[in-house]
Amino acid sequence: MSADVILAVRGVSKSFRGLKAVRDVSFEVPRGSICSLIGPNGAGKSTFFNLVTGYFRPDSGTILFEGRDIAGASPVDVAHLGVARAFQIAKPFPGMSVTENVRIGALFGRAGPRDVEAVTQSAMQLAGLAELHDREARELTVGQLRRLEVARALAARPSLLLADEPCAGLNPTETAEMVAILRRARDAGATVVLVEHDMPAVMEISDTVLVLEAGALIAQGAPQAIARDPRVIAAYLGTEE
Amino acid sequence: MTMQTLVDGLVLGGLFSLSAVGFSLLFGVLGVVNLSHGAFVLIGGYAAYTLHEKLGLDPLLALPVIMLGMFCLGYAFQRSVIQWATKRASLLASMLLTYGFALMIRNALVLIYSPDFKSVTPAYAFDSLSFGEVTVGLTRVAALLVSIVLLAALAATLRYSNIGRTIRATAQQEQAAALCGVNIRHVFALTSGLSAAFAGAAGVAIGLVMPFSPPDETLWTVNAFVVVTLGGIGSPAGALVGGLILGVVNTMTAQLIGAAFPNAMMFLLLVLMLVVRPAGLLGNSFKGSR
Amino acid sequence: MKLFVSGRSAWVSIAITLAGALLFALLPAFLSPYGVRVGQLFVLAAGLAVAWTVLGGFSGYWSFGNAAFVGTGAFVAALIELALPGWSPAGAFTVALLAAMLLNGLLALVIAWPILRLRGIYFAIAMLGVSQVCYELVSNIDALRGALGVNLLDIVPKDVRPERFYYWALLLAATAIILIAICVRHSKLGYGLLAIREDEDTARMLGVPTAPYKISAFVISAMLTAMMGVIYAHNLGYITANSVFRNEFNLNVIVYSLLGGMGTIIGPIVGAGVMTYVTQVLLGDLLDIHMFITGLLLAILVLAAPNGLYGIYDAYRLRLKRQKREAGR
Repeated sequence: MSADVILAVRGVSKSFRGLKAVRDVSFEVPRGSICSLIGPNGAGKSTFFNLVTGYFRPDSGTILFEGRDIAGASPVDVAHLGVARAFQIAKPFPGMSVTENVRIGALFGRAGPRDVEAVTQSAMQLAGLAELHDREARELTVGQLRRLEVARALAARPSLLLADEPCAGLNPTETAEMVAILRRARDAGATVVLVEHDMPAVMEISDTVLVLEAGALIAQGAPQAIARDPRVIAAYLGTEE
Repeated sequence: MTMQTLVDGLVLGGLFSLSAVGFSLLFGVLGVVNLSHGAFVLIGGYAAYTLHEKLGLDPLLALPVIMLGMFCLGYAFQRSVIQWATKRASLLASMLLTYGFALMIRNALVLIYSPDFKSVTPAYAFDSLSFGEVTVGLTRVAALLVSIVLLAALAATLRYSNIGRTIRATAQQEQAAALCGVNIRHVFALTSGLSAAFAGAAGVAIGLVMPFSPPDETLWTVNAFVVVTLGGIGSPAGALVGGLILGVVNTMTAQLIGAAFPNAMMFLLLVLMLVVRPAGLLGNSFKGSR
Repeated sequence: MKLFVSGRSAWVSIAITLAGALLFALLPAFLSPYGVRVGQLFVLAAGLAVAWTVLGGFSGYWSFGNAAFVGTGAFVAALIELALPGWSPAGAFTVALLAAMLLNGLLALVIAWPILRLRGIYFAIAMLGVSQVCYELVSNIDALRGALGVNLLDIVPKDVRPERFYYWALLLAATAIILIAICVRHSKLGYGLLAIREDEDTARMLGVPTAPYKISAFVISAMLTAMMGVIYAHNLGYITANSVFRNEFNLNVIVYSLLGGMGTIIGPIVGAGVMTYVTQVLLGDLLDIHMFITGLLLAILVLAAPNGLYGIYDAYRLRLKRQKREAGR
């Protein structure tokens, strides 16, 4: 595999009690790109994230991250290799301040112990949280929590950021903000893979779009091509309205 | 000799099962760990003692009355206190709340009955039945029968009656049950009432077989927990399996290793079981085992 | 490697602790011997509760069985002193104390592997089981003398009143425990434990090595609890299994944290203070209904202030903060 592919998924399958959540999926994510994973509910997007982060072990196939097979590695090891995940349902530590939340990301990420503060500050800056630094997480709005979630993930200095529906439930202003944050994260050196339902956001931000349906990859390509793909329209966009 | 130990173990196991089944039900349906369960068991025992001493009422005749009284107590306890606590605080906090009640009940029992051991001794307390080499006191036979009959009755109620079905449905899908028009609070309180009624019945049966004192409440609570851990949460069958295993292990340990070691053995078993199969032998009868 | 992640607040806490300890050290000069004994109970309770908090409060793994470490610590120390007949009391005590802490640390390490995999209520009850097993073994194995009882060395210097000496000894130990808890709280370990408490799976995905962290906290908690147990045992002078494997040690430590504020360090200290004051001073004469009142207080507490006294203060502080922000706008 070439050096500029950060994540290569090859023939990955996963079933739960006979239900095939992900079936024989293969694709590559180029380093420095933003890649969106779309598909109807239950298409296997979240399962896929769980496979990459080591929460589930695939039944078969390999997941190469920077050339190393991480299929079945523990979540802690995957995190230490440089994969970070921002959850769809933000899971901040409610009693802690914004700074402390982000600091936890930095502490257990790949920043050296002396850089923790600098990394924390720059992640907050990037996610537009600098002004809220002493606010406690439980005081934040949904949009702010989502940004906190992303900031905490970025503070780990990941080379791959998995963002689980970062725009879900956000208003247009907040969505635009989130798109800008993900762009800045990419510019700062992270490759971004997101699962997203917000089509305008996906079209705007993605270099590549992957479409999953019923666990199988049915299309991949540039956003405009995907938007015109009849299979995709049938499987996903057509059922949306 | 070993046969005798086995039979003694089964009698003891029946008591463990009966004393645990209410705890198990409450845990399974409400998710509440009731640390005052052992105290409820003792209230049953002391009620039987009082009715026997003051009115000369046979404990087995007093049993239905005591169960009814305990049912009301359990119902009220849930509607007034536990419901409030679980709404406002965590389930762990509800453990502290019930621990507080256990302390209060224990203290009250000491004030009313003194800290000394008491036992319920009906006229037939000293008769016994013999089967070959095995001799069993009549009260022990009665206690075992009470345990088995009541457990079977509870199992049948949960399985076949309307209220049993409602309880099981509520345990599995609280919100769905509420949407179907089930009055959740009432169902929870009924469950709590049943739990207390069976605790009371266990107290009566225990009173027939062995002396008891207020500090025993801790023991019966912990026993109930061990039984549930061994057998599985929520079901009479789980309580029966867990209780019988515990009873036999108890008497066998006393017989083979030493009279001082049943409790240590019991806890060793508990810890091992938690590590190997936290959901118990029969699993959680209401929710999928995790 | 920096010791503290959040340096400034750690040093502030340490300074406050030292100042508070100094203040408490002066108290016996103003108290009757009875007052000093109440002080002992408070300091003992606070020390044990903070030691419990290192695991229970920070990581959310509530142990219902810390009496295991109090009792095992006390008996290890007693038996070691018995085995060192020719030694000076101070020397034997030092060896006994260190050995008791070390052995309890080992005990925790051994049981940690199986039982720290359990979560929530199952961990709590498994610990209750552990404390019962320790109690039963110590009471029933003759060589351990739990049933018969065993004397501990008299380590009180000649010119100091015993109740004062033990007050200071317990205070010193409690202060050490609080300082260690502060260090843990503000270190990388502490942040990892808090992450585990909030959500263990998320913590793992953030790269927190959860298993080693939980085990570390458990071992530290066990060693600190044992230290308190050893000094308490010397204060008693003569111990049986019943006097050191006490159920109160299992559950009261949790009550203190709940009353004061779960997860904080100041919470269990305040909780221990309030409970000791209420049970020993206000209700000191009502021994008959002691347990009843404790239970009642507990019930009222859970119903009225589920997040403890700290929770009340915290809600007030948040409101103030919000008001200030809105005023500034």
